[in-house]
Amino acid sequence: MTKADFLRALEDSLEIDEGTLDGAQVLEDLECWDSMSALIYMALADEQLHVAVTGDQIVSCKTVNDLLGIVGDKLTG
Amino acid sequence: MMINPMDMTGRVTVVTGASSGIGRAASLLLSQLGARVVLVGRNQDRLSQTLAMLEGSQHSIEVFDLTSTDDIPAWMKLVAQRNGLISGVVHCAGEQLIFPVRMLKSQQVEELLRINVVSAIMLAKSFRQHGVNDSGGAIVFVSSVMGEVGAPGRSAYCASKGALHSLTKSLAMELAKERIRVNCVAPGTVKTEMLDEAQNLLTDAQIAEIESMQPLGFGTPRDIAHALVFLLAETGRWITGSVLIVDGGYTAH
Repeated sequence: MTKADFLRALEDSLEIDEGTLDGAQVLEDLECWDSMSALIYMALADEQLHVAVTGDQIVSCKTVNDLLGIVGDKLTG
Repeated sequence: MMINPMDMTGRVTVVTGASSGIGRAASLLLSQLGARVVLVGRNQDRLSQTLAMLEGSQHSIEVFDLTSTDDIPAWMKLVAQRNGLISGVVHCAGEQLIFPVRMLKSQQVEELLRINVVSAIMLAKSFRQHGVNDSGGAIVFVSSVMGEVGAPGRSAYCASKGALHSLTKSLAMELAKERIRVNCVAPGTVKTEMLDEAQNLLTDAQIAEIESMQPLGFGTPRDIAHALVFLLAETGRWITGSVLIVDGGYTAH
């Protein structure tokens, strides 16, 4: 899966407008980002990329790019 | 003369989910109280580890996958033939699911209900068969406080545990005339392998918050085993259709 496709899937799961995320966004600045969003990200990573992401990995992330870094090995492009 | 109202000497007791956590602790306590324990699980090696911990040599292992729900009645008859008439069943096997409802797929929910609810119904149906129980007996399900309260990301899991609570009451009514008691223990957060799995999904701060919600802190599998055996033994003789919450005070808030 490409990084762009994964971002679109994340936008879809978070129910935010397509094109909102390019990776640079700071998580705490995103209105939609909360503890449930973190669970949604884990579910998406598991479902789409078969990667088990832990809660502590997400806590250490400041930006969307940091989130993508957790699953980076599985993304192309 | 000293008496032990929780004495289980010679009683054949089937424990599902016996390869770890609460099921393993219940098996150990039952063996210490003299029961003949039948350990049920999917993994022979892990069941053998439990077997090696038990007191006495009268116990046995039954490798069986409880998700094969239609096969449970015939299998239970074989268990009784191999081990003797069964006095009690402790159903500890189950799965948890922490998943946001917007991401849930029906297949996930159906799989969860199969192991957490359908297997319980089929175990009760099987236990009441002629030639299986010892002219009555006791069934104890293990549910969760999540059958009484809600939590984000746990809707399917909560539904499965709430179903066990209503199942307990209905089975108690239906099986009383057959001298079969049916009860349920609803644990709070207990230090088991299942908690380890949940910890991977939650942050340290979230885990600390959950622990702070339990005035007595996290429980141990042994704490739950005590409640399970209390309901199985003579101490539970006049108790049926009950859900015993054992949660360190979690639901007292």
